[in-house]
Amino acid sequence: MATTAEGFDAHHDQGHGHDAHDHADHKPGFFARWFMSTNHKDIGTMYLIFAIIAGIVGGAISGIMRVELAEPEIQYLQWWAQFMGGGNDLNTALHMWNVFITAHGLIMVFFMVMPAMIGGFGNWFVPLMIGAPDMAFPRMNNVSFWLTVAGFFSLLFSLFVPGGTGPGAGTGWTVYAPLSTSGSVGPAVDFAIFSLHLAGAGSILGATNFITTIFNMRAPGMTLHKMPLFVWSVLVTAFLLLLALPVLAAAITMLLTDRNFGTTFFNPAGGGDPVLYQHLFWFFGHPEVYIMILPGFGMISQIIATFSKKPVFGYLGMAYAMVAIGVVGFIVWAHHMYTVGLDVNTKMYFTAATMVIAVPTGVKIFSWIATMWGGSLSFKSPMVWSMGFIFLFTVGGVTGVVLANGGIDDNLHDTYYVVAHFHYVLSMGAVFSMFAGFYYWFPKMSGRMHSELLSHLHFWTFFIGVNVIFFPQHFLGMQGMPRRYPDYAEAFTFWHQVSTYGYYIMAGSMVFFFVNIAYALLAGKKAAANPWGEGATTLEWTLPSPPPYHQFETLPVITDAHDYHDHRPVTA
Amino acid sequence: MAGKANHDYHILEPDIWPLIGSVSALTFTSGMVLSFHPELFGAASSFVMWAGLAGLIATFFMWFKNIVVEAQRGDHTPVVQLHMRYGMILFIASEVMFFVGWFWSFFDFALFPTPLTYDHTTGATTSLFGEAGAIAAFIPEGMEVLDPFALPLLNTLILLCSGTTVTWAHHSLIHGDRVGLKQGLWATIALGVLFSSIQAYEYSAAPFGFGGNTYSSAFYMATGFHGFHVAIGTIFLAVCLYRAYLGHFTPRQHFGFEAAAWYWHFVDVVWLFLFVAIYVWGGWGAEYH
Amino acid sequence: MGQRHTRMKNAILAAIAAGLAAFAPLSVAAQVAPTTTPVEATAPAAEAAPATAAPADAAPAEAAGTYTPMAPTKGKGMPTSYEDGALKSMTFQDQYSENGKYAQWMHDGILMPVITAISLLVLGLLLYVVVRFNRIRNPVASRTTHNTAIEVIWTIVPVIILVVIAVPSITLLARQYETPPADAVTIKATGYQWYWGYTYPDHGEIEVISNMLDEGEAVRRGEPGQLAVDNRMVVPAGVPLRIQTTASDVIHAFAVPSLWFKMDAVPGRLNEKLLTIEEPGVYYGQCSELCGARHAYMPIAIEALPPAEFAAWVKAQGGSMPGEEAAAPAAAPAVDAAAAAAPAAAR
Ligand code: HEA
Ligand code: HEA
Ligand code: CUA
Ligand SMILES: [Cu+2]
Repeated sequence: MATTAEGFDAHHDQGHGHDAHDHADHKPGFFARWFMSTNHKDIGTMYLIFAIIAGIVGGAISGIMRVELAEPEIQYLQWWAQFMGGGNDLNTALHMWNVFITAHGLIMVFFMVMPAMIGGFGNWFVPLMIGAPDMAFPRMNNVSFWLTVAGFFSLLFSLFVPGGTGPGAGTGWTVYAPLSTSGSVGPAVDFAIFSLHLAGAGSILGATNFITTIFNMRAPGMTLHKMPLFVWSVLVTAFLLLLALPVLAAAITMLLTDRNFGTTFFNPAGGGDPVLYQHLFWFFGHPEVYIMILPGFGMISQIIATFSKKPVFGYLGMAYAMVAIGVVGFIVWAHHMYTVGLDVNTKMYFTAATMVIAVPTGVKIFSWIATMWGGSLSFKSPMVWSMGFIFLFTVGGVTGVVLANGGIDDNLHDTYYVVAHFHYVLSMGAVFSMFAGFYYWFPKMSGRMHSELLSHLHFWTFFIGVNVIFFPQHFLGMQGMPRRYPDYAEAFTFWHQVSTYGYYIMAGSMVFFFVNIAYALLAGKKAAANPWGEGATTLEWTLPSPPPYHQFETLPVITDAHDYHDHRPVTA
Repeated sequence: MAGKANHDYHILEPDIWPLIGSVSALTFTSGMVLSFHPELFGAASSFVMWAGLAGLIATFFMWFKNIVVEAQRGDHTPVVQLHMRYGMILFIASEVMFFVGWFWSFFDFALFPTPLTYDHTTGATTSLFGEAGAIAAFIPEGMEVLDPFALPLLNTLILLCSGTTVTWAHHSLIHGDRVGLKQGLWATIALGVLFSSIQAYEYSAAPFGFGGNTYSSAFYMATGFHGFHVAIGTIFLAVCLYRAYLGHFTPRQHFGFEAAAWYWHFVDVVWLFLFVAIYVWGGWGAEYH
Repeated sequence: MGQRHTRMKNAILAAIAAGLAAFAPLSVAAQVAPTTTPVEATAPAAEAAPATAAPADAAPAEAAGTYTPMAPTKGKGMPTSYEDGALKSMTFQDQYSENGKYAQWMHDGILMPVITAISLLVLGLLLYVVVRFNRIRNPVASRTTHNTAIEVIWTIVPVIILVVIAVPSITLLARQYETPPADAVTIKATGYQWYWGYTYPDHGEIEVISNMLDEGEAVRRGEPGQLAVDNRMVVPAGVPLRIQTTASDVIHAFAVPSLWFKMDAVPGRLNEKLLTIEEPGVYYGQCSELCGARHAYMPIAIEALPPAEFAAWVKAQGGSMPGEEAAAPAAAPAVDAAAAAAPAAAR
């Protein structure tokens, strides 16, 4: 497929630069534009800003955690306990730890990665890539965003009210009963639960919106099999959200009624079963981890193709691998519960089923490499982040395969090995793909070029930093260091220290990111419609940077020449 | 707004209700938390919850009112109507998964029960976990349940009936018979209200209280959420009835009505599962009240 | 087997360690921080002393004077610090149960080489395309988007690899789930916020309440801080144990890394699993399910004794060996203990 940006019919209809002066660029006033928005790009921008703020908060909390963990014994938690309005006793200090990890986990998952990937990039680029003027339900799009903000506020409220032996919800992001029911008196956990309800409701509405948009608003001629892979990834993600989140909603509603109305879903005194909560949670929770990575997969596919100047290798296999990951993702949940006392057959089943996911994931990894193979690679910032992603996600993925073995997980469960695993797939997998997507689309969104030098510095220092943080955590886990511990046996000190130095490197590297954004917005060169050259073939590059307030007022028409898995020479 | 858009999609004006709705939702949930903890926040704190609820109701009202106005204005081109269909189907799919959660817990308790005793006079449940010879039963020893073949069966018939009356209304609408439309809707709403009344009576007369053990927890939460959905569905149908009186809906374009009907059928099907699983199978062999 | 793979793995780990160690000097700067703590830095350790909630009627260990807690062996049944063994600090603790050895072999011999190879393969391919297919060396991109043969290969080969992993994995699970023999020694571990209680239903319902020792006391007794407890869970070595876990408040998890043993303690449930500790020793573990504030402060210490000494310990606790009347002093303990400890096959 040799389609260049100029190959699209849309382009012939509209031509560069004209839109900018059209009626279409007429924007509402400040308040109406940002608080009453029905525009997918503005809502996407708000999601991205929100995600960056949440990322700063979540990242700062992880800094508090890493600094505390640099040495055995409790160093700073008492200070934090008092700062947050708690008492000076040790139990409050220790509770603060649980509050921090809970807030860190929830913020990173629900208020950083999901809003950035789905709300931010999904909102911005799904309509652009399928040639649609906006989302199917623009008003509902806005309520999805504000519900996410509401959820974040509910979580913040929880930090300032009693939640057991101190202020805040200290249940872990998994909110296991009965620690979250009878084990945490006070309103903090209620606020945290409602935070999930609100953010979850927003996500379900968002999922409905994306599925409808993708099914109904593709430009004429854009069949499902011609859709860019990023759109495929959001489609699969939206289905996962739609089917997994309501189960979480039910589970956390049970927590609420157990806490406040005397039901006994998870209370053994009335015949309830704490393990039931874990089943319900992980039935949501495992699909959730793919919700956090699939849009990343989609972005990586676009970027690798662009900077290899080659169409994606094995397009159909790539699309259906994501579908397969989504489907299989629903039947592996109990690999998070290997030690709860499952019977042997269940454990064998979940071991086998979990390992199956490595196959479609491998298809993706190898297809990305095959896309680069024979390509003409240019190592622009999105590309280096993508290549970093491929390697680090593989490392995180293969430790997942280790954990998938029920008998092996008996030793590793709830140790730092698991922490290392999921930060490799999240703090490197998901976050690397987000930075890749950010640098890829920033010129399109803002109309300004960022500095390639700063983005490369950001990449290399961040790459080193996160590896130094999380690689040693494998060692700690294998030696037996349990998770969710603010204090540990002396023997674990060295690798914890190394991990904390890694944090400093990583934190320093983020300076490049923020300086880069500031530089680009204030002094960046104006971005062309397609700054990345002939490899960038999707529809967003046919529009000016930034795109007009309303794009595609005349729908683009996609011809056979744009077929993703068509390698005939283009005749246009 | 989109001046010379050459497409049939619906580009909307900026709108304040999403923000108001979200603030109201946060106020509502936060108010609920306050009212859960009167020891900390005082009994009057439930005021916050009611304020949030009022905001939510206002949002729903204005939101749907706007949709109706837009529909009447002709903004809902065929493709936009198709969006609404997809939206509604997907929303119902998510609702199905919500009920999956409640059925999951119900079956977990029913299939893997723990030994319990139930004191009929105090309504207190005691776990016999760890005691030798204790026999596990889903319905604790000594607890009575509702006879499925009395009022619940009647309610099943009522809901099934209401499924036919809503179809009657739909057929009338398609054939341009507006009187039949109204009659069918009146009948459906009446049956819905009847169902809810009988359900309310059953709750008040039930031989066991809310919570305390797994049967009553699963029973009340599952049937309670169903009841809540019946109420929503009834309101939805009532809105349709009101719109029918206003002269809305044509034989060709009446998605608002269809959505209400789909929702009603969904609520109906959930009841059938509740009836078969919880009332009949779940209570099998236990003492009926 | 193991040997060669272990060496291979160690080599790889060492390489990584060398890379990471490069950052160590930075530590100097960071270490200043803790000393400037605004709060009394010593307070936590002192306050972490035994939970006051511990029932007072716990059997006093010193009662009969016949039992003195065994001194732990450095590096056995406990984590190893980097200073005491760089490589040892980067992998699993040495295993003292048969299943643990099998699992460790499976990890070191199969999983570790496989995942290392896959990661290096991906890294190698990435580096290769960087060198070979960069814009300068390969100005004109090919248009290949399909190659059925290679796609089939990269689907089938992972399947084969996974099957190779699955076989020992399933075997391991089957072994871990062997039913304990009828005469296995039953010990019930109950998790409390925040300590452990061990009961011995076959031995006259002995109950041991086990609280963490504070740092100073642990060091005085020559034990690792944060892992040492006042009263250990004492068991016979070389004898099948039926470990049961449950909890009284929230979920805890009974975990001992050097025995490859972890089982959640769930309120309202009784989990059960077979464990045979191969040799006498002290094996430390820690609560491994978030259970509230002092989750980090409810360690587990198992002391495995030769069966005869175990019987003596039982006596000292005021318990009795199975088949013996409670507190009947007549029978010779050693003989009885030997009988109790006889392998299952003998019955
Ligand atoms: C983005 C998020 C993400 C992703 C993508 C994954 C991917 C995987 N995860 Fe992970 N996981 C988490 C996030 C994620 N995980 C989180 C957050 C937790 C902890 C939650 C908590 O407790 O708080 C967790 C925990 C977790 C556990 C439970 C551990 C425990 O608590 O004891 C397990 C166990 O099976 C597991 C397995 C896997 C597997 C098999 C994959 C697979 O999908 C990986 C597949 C990828 C590869 C294998 C690499 C590429 C493939 C090839 C190059 C082909 C060749 C490979 C082979 C033949 C092996 N994960
Ligand atoms: C996406 C998820 C995510 C991310 C990115 C991170 C990032 C980090 N995490 Fe997190 N972590 C979790 C999810 C995540 N974590 C979860 C779920 C848990 C389990 C909680 C529990 O036990 O309940 C956990 C637990 C956890 C622990 C274990 C605590 C314990 O068990 O006691 C530790 C300890 O070191 C830790 C450290 C860190 C560090 C140092 C980072 C650093 O990498 C942080 C650096 C910061 C960033 C990488 C963010 C930068 C991003 C932005 C600024 C936004 C950019 C936006 C756009 C481009 C649009 N985390
Ligand atoms: Cu007990 Cu953690
Ligand atoms: Cu999982």
